[in-house]
Amino acid sequence: MTKVDKADPAATPTRPMTETTSSRSGRVVVIVLTLLLALLPLARPLIGQPHNYVLQIGMVGLMWVALASSWNLIGGFTGYISLGHNVFYGIGGYASGLILLYFGLSPLLTFPIAGLIAVVFGFLVGLITLRTRGPAFIISTIALLLMVGLLFDNWEFAGGSNGLSLPLPPFSLENVKIPFYYAMLVIAIGSVYFGYRVAHSKFGLALRAIAQDEIKAEVAGIDTRRMKIAAFSLSAFWVGAAGAIWGYSLTYLRPSIFFTIAIAAEMVLMSIIGGRGTVAGPVVGAVLLVALNEVSVSQFGSNELNIVVTGVIMLIVLMFFPMGVVGTLRERGHLPGFLDWD
Amino acid sequence: MTHIIQVAILGLLLGGVYALMASGLTLMFGVMRIVNLAHGVFIIAASYLAFFLFTGPGWDPFLSLVVTMPVFFLLGLLVYRMFFPRIEESPRFGEMTVLLTFALALIVEGLLSYFFTGTFRSTSPSYATEAFLIGDLFIPKAQLYASITSLILLFALWGFLYFTRTGYAVRATMQNRTAAQIVGVNVRRISTLSFGIGMALAGASGSLISFLFPFFPNSHWRWIAILLSLIVLGGLGSLKGAIVGALFLAVAAAFVSDQFGPTWSPMTFFGALFLILLIRPRGLFGEKARVG
Amino acid sequence: MALLELDEVSSGYGYGPDILNGVSLSVESGKAYCIIGPNGAGKSTILKTVAGLLRPRKGEILLDGKPIGGMRPDLVLGAGICFVPQDRSLFPEMSVRENLVMGAFLEPDRKVVSERMAQVFEMFPLLEERVNQHAGTLSGGEQQMLALGRALMIKPRMMMIDEPSLGLAPQIADQIFDIIRRLIQLDMTLLLVEQNVVRGLASTEWSFLLDLGVLRLEAPSDQILDDPAIRELYLGRQREATQEVDIGEQS
Repeated sequence: MTKVDKADPAATPTRPMTETTSSRSGRVVVIVLTLLLALLPLARPLIGQPHNYVLQIGMVGLMWVALASSWNLIGGFTGYISLGHNVFYGIGGYASGLILLYFGLSPLLTFPIAGLIAVVFGFLVGLITLRTRGPAFIISTIALLLMVGLLFDNWEFAGGSNGLSLPLPPFSLENVKIPFYYAMLVIAIGSVYFGYRVAHSKFGLALRAIAQDEIKAEVAGIDTRRMKIAAFSLSAFWVGAAGAIWGYSLTYLRPSIFFTIAIAAEMVLMSIIGGRGTVAGPVVGAVLLVALNEVSVSQFGSNELNIVVTGVIMLIVLMFFPMGVVGTLRERGHLPGFLDWD
Repeated sequence: MTHIIQVAILGLLLGGVYALMASGLTLMFGVMRIVNLAHGVFIIAASYLAFFLFTGPGWDPFLSLVVTMPVFFLLGLLVYRMFFPRIEESPRFGEMTVLLTFALALIVEGLLSYFFTGTFRSTSPSYATEAFLIGDLFIPKAQLYASITSLILLFALWGFLYFTRTGYAVRATMQNRTAAQIVGVNVRRISTLSFGIGMALAGASGSLISFLFPFFPNSHWRWIAILLSLIVLGGLGSLKGAIVGALFLAVAAAFVSDQFGPTWSPMTFFGALFLILLIRPRGLFGEKARVG
Repeated sequence: MALLELDEVSSGYGYGPDILNGVSLSVESGKAYCIIGPNGAGKSTILKTVAGLLRPRKGEILLDGKPIGGMRPDLVLGAGICFVPQDRSLFPEMSVRENLVMGAFLEPDRKVVSERMAQVFEMFPLLEERVNQHAGTLSGGEQQMLALGRALMIKPRMMMIDEPSLGLAPQIADQIFDIIRRLIQLDMTLLLVEQNVVRGLASTEWSFLLDLGVLRLEAPSDQILDDPAIRELYLGRQREATQEVDIGEQS
């Protein structure tokens, strides 16, 4: 089959890394944006009073970029939908939190360790759950989320359902947001860049083959099980790291912060809206949804209808724009260079 | 010894109800390869319906079956028609059904939350707190009646599937969709009908669990995770597997609950899921590695 | 007038490329036809498209002059065209009897169904022996017999059979073709796809040679069989990606 399966969201082909004018200018835009993001915390004199709020939104946005981007590795590139991916979020959060409580090391430093712990956990789980395809795997991710949530709810050492209080970060009230913002920026960039590298690697090619047609991939000699487990485990890293920073930023850990289905839903939705299986997709999706959420909360207040809106948006996107923003734009030939990272 | 029998009986009684809940889910997967993540939320929605019939006109939850089953049957026909034919041709159909029903579940949960708030509800007919005493055994009336009703409904389902022309068509579609088409079965109609039946079973389940388990909008995640674990154990698409899985796991959960406390009872299902994935991924009665 | 006509029909699977590229052919009542050609030529695709399992992307399919292209498979059956797929498509957990009964799904009269079943048992005594056995446990030859028997339960006007001898030992395949010959003697209209060219050509009156989704040749079956030049040109040629179809060998 020479024609690429158009309606297949995971079928975006890997482009050779040749420079075109649009991709070069795209690169510039990305670099400029990243620099702006990096300089934002220092722009207090410009922004003035709402500065902390801006940093908070920025941090949240960057966090979701990291979460969605990581999810995309297993859910988009490999086509294995994980509906409980935030299990790693919580594990990372608790890991760094507990390290802080017992060893006094700041999560701002230990978040890579939290990420690693999440990876190991993902690896062990993946060994079991990636023995199946499709529906059974998806079901196992939901079960895993609820199971781990239940365990943490009853684990006295980790504070059970009441959770644990963490010591306050040693920064002035005025500047406290800044290190968290930078940590999340690093994590977001790390996550997206990691996705970019995977997309342009043989590993990524193998994953896409699995997403297209796993049986054919196996027949072609790809060790699908190893690839899937690798994708699943690696996708846990930045999620765990993000959880570590987030938990610390709240200064308390509680299962209900991390292990709810709503968070899993958001991660999935962001990738789908943005464009599953593309590198830029989750970023676009995360930014859009965080912005949308801010607007809707400020207008309508935070209530149960938010989750209805999430569901409705997901439904509409699934039925009419299954390729997401980036995928649909690309298909119609209107994808701007700065979003073309595949 | 009596204690063990006691626990086992309690487990079996609940198992009957779980089997009813899981059967609708299995039917949908078997006939249409739909993984319906919204099944739990529709069960809860039916519980709400039963609740309002109870607190309003004072209807016994068993009486509410007369309303919940037809209402959800029709709702099922509607939901199927609205969403599923459109994605039938999709190359990633399996995933699409998961994501679509996931979105549906979020929407329905949100609506239930919005209209009915997060307060725990349950219907409380008199038998909910009564029990039969047979020798040393304590048999709660509520569980017994619910279990008997579940059995009757499952029996009716069995009768439908094995003794009616349409039932044969449903089973044929479950076994080989293409074959069904070429012998003249209108698989679109059968799919719609099966979805309706599955929803009707969800509606019935909702009525029954309204007095067995206090519920609130978010509880459906626990249910769907349990039910899905159960049908993976039994083998996706196998009704026999769903029923066996339900009875077996419910008894196991009863023992877990007895030994370690009721909070751990859901863990039985999750643990069983991971165990079966480890040793026999296709489940007890499932077919060999089906591409998702 | 022809019973079945295909007019410049193109079709393919899912969103993939066209497998059939404008095929035109006609089938007359009471005759037997064979479609031959290399692997991947689109032979099965023709049958599936007529049967309604695939929708034609271009062109028309006419039955008795009335368009049936894109019609649902159960309606195509209702119009009288019965399809026996390559994998036989039986109901594995149903017994032989139940499979046969399902074959007559569209027949409302129970008595007629019983009569037909008796006729099928007469033609396939082996099936009667295994009447309560699950179809999934039958041997390859028995499954093929059941597939054919099931197709006959609805008394079709036309039968389309996709590779009846596939996966069968030569003696069993012979038996199947004996049955096919019997059907032809009973004036059944037959459209056959057969990989074993010798069998296919020997059993039918007219043949279509399909290659890469296009009809290359149509001729009376015995002409192709007897003409060594045509054989050499179309059937003996080496193909890169497909198996060589060698006369006299079953691929």
